[in-house]
Amino acid sequence: MTVRRIEGELPVAFRYTPGVGNTAFFEALRDRGTFLGSRCADCGVTYLPARIFCERCLAGLVPDTECGPEGTVESWTVARQDVDGRPLDPPVTFALVRLDGADTVLLHRLLGTADIGGRVRAVLRPERTASILDLQGFEPV
Amino acid sequence: MTGRRVAVVGAGMTRFVRRAQETGKELAFQASRAALDAAEMKLGQVDAVCLTSAPDAFDGVHRKGDYLADGAGGWNKPFIRTYVGGGSGVFTAIQGWYTVASGQADVVLCVAEEKMSSCQPHPQGAFLTIFDNILERPLGPNLLWIFALEMNRYMQRYGLEKRDIAAVAVKNKRNAADHPAALLGQADISVDDVLASDVLAWPVQRLDVSPISDGAVAIIMASEETARRLTAAPVWIDGVGWNLDSTYWTNRDLSYPEYVEKAARMAYGMAGITEPRKQIHVAEPYDPFDYKELHHLEGLLLFDKGKAPEAAAAGVTARDGDLPCCPSGGLLGVGNPIAAAGLMKIAELFWQLRGEAGARQVPGTPERGVAQAWGDLMQVGTVVVMGAGGAGGLRGSGLAARPHPSPLRPDPSGQSAAPPTSMLGPTSLSDAQFRSVAGAVDTPLDVLYAWDPGDAIGAFLDGLRDGRILATTCASCGRTLVPPRAFCERCFRSTDAWMELAATGTVETFSICHVTWDMRPLDEPELPAVIRIDGSSDGGFLHKLDEVAPDDVRIGMAVEAVWRPLDDRTGSILDIAYFRPRDPAPDRELVAAAAGEMTP
Repeated sequence: MTVRRIEGELPVAFRYTPGVGNTAFFEALRDRGTFLGSRCADCGVTYLPARIFCERCLAGLVPDTECGPEGTVESWTVARQDVDGRPLDPPVTFALVRLDGADTVLLHRLLGTADIGGRVRAVLRPERTASILDLQGFEPV
Repeated sequence: MTGRRVAVVGAGMTRFVRRAQETGKELAFQASRAALDAAEMKLGQVDAVCLTSAPDAFDGVHRKGDYLADGAGGWNKPFIRTYVGGGSGVFTAIQGWYTVASGQADVVLCVAEEKMSSCQPHPQGAFLTIFDNILERPLGPNLLWIFALEMNRYMQRYGLEKRDIAAVAVKNKRNAADHPAALLGQADISVDDVLASDVLAWPVQRLDVSPISDGAVAIIMASEETARRLTAAPVWIDGVGWNLDSTYWTNRDLSYPEYVEKAARMAYGMAGITEPRKQIHVAEPYDPFDYKELHHLEGLLLFDKGKAPEAAAAGVTARDGDLPCCPSGGLLGVGNPIAAAGLMKIAELFWQLRGEAGARQVPGTPERGVAQAWGDLMQVGTVVVMGAGGAGGLRGSGLAARPHPSPLRPDPSGQSAAPPTSMLGPTSLSDAQFRSVAGAVDTPLDVLYAWDPGDAIGAFLDGLRDGRILATTCASCGRTLVPPRAFCERCFRSTDAWMELAATGTVETFSICHVTWDMRPLDEPELPAVIRIDGSSDGGFLHKLDEVAPDDVRIGMAVEAVWRPLDDRTGSILDIAYFRPRDPAPDRELVAAAAGEMTP
C-alpha cells in the first residue's frame, strides 16, 4: 500500500480589532500614557484593560477608572526558548502584574527581577501606536 | 411529552452589521443584556448558559466557547457550547430545552454569536476544509459550488423557474425593511433586481445569497413553574427535532432535504402536530439562499415537493399570506451571522407568538410557529416548534405574578424610531474604518496540515494513477460505492469486495462558476459537477467538466473521464483531468459487462 501525505493549508488571516472596551484602553495608553479600566460598583471589581460589561453580573460598564502606573507582581517566569523551541538569548522574563486599583492582571515583560509581591512600575515607549507594545514592560521600583 | 415543560421568557439581539467594532464577547454581552432587560431579569437568576458559535475560524479564536463565556454570562455557571455549523443557532435552543427539561436547571440563557468580519481575505476561507481534503480540495472548490449544485438539481427535478425562487429574496428583503436589526432590508427591491444581479455560480446570483454579517442573539428559557412566575406570556417549546443526513454530500438527494423532514417529524411528533399545514401559523425556515427557504419549507412538510416556489411567487408565504414565512426578513434580509441567524428565528417566533413583532407582526393571532436551521456539511436539520398559550398554557388563565414586560427599548443607533424588539448596538464600521481601527492586529493562520487518505481512498488513488476507477461493495445493502469506503455507514459493517467500473458516468448536477472562493472574478468560468460513475450507487463525486460549452451542459448528460498523461499522474483526484461529454451515449450493457469483481 502506498503511504501518502497530502498537504494542505487553511489560507486565512485574521484582523483582530480591539472592540469598544480595549479601544478605550489603547487610546488612553497611546494618548495619555495611562491605564484605563472599568469598575463594577455592585460587584466591587475593577477590570483592566477596560471592559464594557461586568462578567459577574452582566452590567454595562464605562471605561473610566485609571489604574497604575505602579503595581504588584503576582507571578513570573523566565522564557529560555521561543515558540519553536529555539534558545532565547538573553532569556526573557514575563510577569503577571496587578496594577494598583485593578483586580485583574496584565501579562507583560519584567525588565529586571522581582519576586512575587514585589513592586514594579510601567515603562512606556515614547512613540506609541495603540498597541500592548506601547508598554515596554515593568521595572522594579 | 418529554421531560419538564419549557418556555421562552425573553429574547434580545444586536443589530446585524457587516463589520462590528465590538468584539465577539461584546456582541454576546449586548444580546444577553438585551434579553435579560426585556425579561426584567438579572444574571443571578440564570442557572446555566448554553452558547453557540459557528466555525472558530471565523473569529480566529480557537476556543470560542469559553472565550465568549463572559459576555454570555457564563462566569461560574454550568456552561456548554454546542456546534452543528449553520444549524447551531436553532440547536442551541434545543440544548437549552433539554438542560431545563431534564431538571438540571430552571433558567437557561441561550446565546448565539458570530463575528465573520475578522476572517481575511474572505470568510469563505474558513469553510475550505469542510470539503474532503483529498478528493475535493485539489479541485479548488468554492463554497458556492455546493449551493449552486443543489439549487440546479432542485430546479431541474421540479422544472422550477428562477423567477419564482427569486420571489423569496424579494419577500425577505422587503420584510427586513421593517426590522430595526436588519442589514439588508430593502422595501423597493423587485424580482428583476435579483435576476439582474451578478451571476456568482449559476444558478446562484448575488441577490440570491445572504450577506456576511456580525451579530448576536440571546433568549432566556425557563421551566414551566418558573416561566409562569416570570411572565404572563411564556412561549412554549412544544417540540424539538434534529437529524443528520449522509456525510457524503454528493450522495444526498440534492433536490429534497430528507434530514429536515426527519427533524420536523421528530419535532411535530413531540408537539402533537399531525397536520402541519393547518397547525403551523408562522414559519421561520432557514434562508441563507432563497432556494433554501423553499427547500426547507418542503422538508418541513408545509408544501408538497417542488411546490413551494409557486406558492412563494403567489404570495402565500408573504407576511399577510396564508402561511407567513420569514416575517423577520430572514438571513437574506436581516443578515447572516451564521449561528446568531438561527437563534434570531427562535427570537422572532417568540415575538410573533406574543404579538410583539411590531411592524413585522403577522396578522391574526398566530398560536404556533416552527423555526428551522441547516448546517454542518449542509446536511443537518434542526427544528423547534413553539406555541403561545395553548393547552395548559397561560393565555387567559390570569396566573401572572407580574405585568407583562414591555419589549420596547430605545435603539441607540437612532435608525428606527420605534424598534419592536429589544436591541442594543453594535457600532457598524465601514471598510475604511475597519482597515484603520486603532490597536488592530493582523495575524495569518500559519499552519500546514498533512492528511493520510486511509486504506480505501489510498487504494482508490492508486487505481486512478493506473487509469482505473475502483469501488467497494456492501453485500448487505447491495450498494456499489465510488469513491470506495472501508465500511458501509448504513449497515455499519466492513465493505465486502472491490470492483472496477468503467470511467464513464452521468452528470447529476452542475454549476457554471464565475468567482474564486474569495470572490475574485474568474477569466473563464469553471464547470463543477457531481458525476455518478456508471454502475455506482447513490449520487456521485465532485469533479469538473471541460470540452463542452457551459450552455450545452445538461443534467443527465453522459460523460467520460479524460485522464492526465500517464507520466503526469500522481495518485490524485486530479489524475482525472476532467470529464467530457460522451458521444455516442453509453451502452449500459457494455458498461455492466466491463464491471467485473477484482481485488486491487
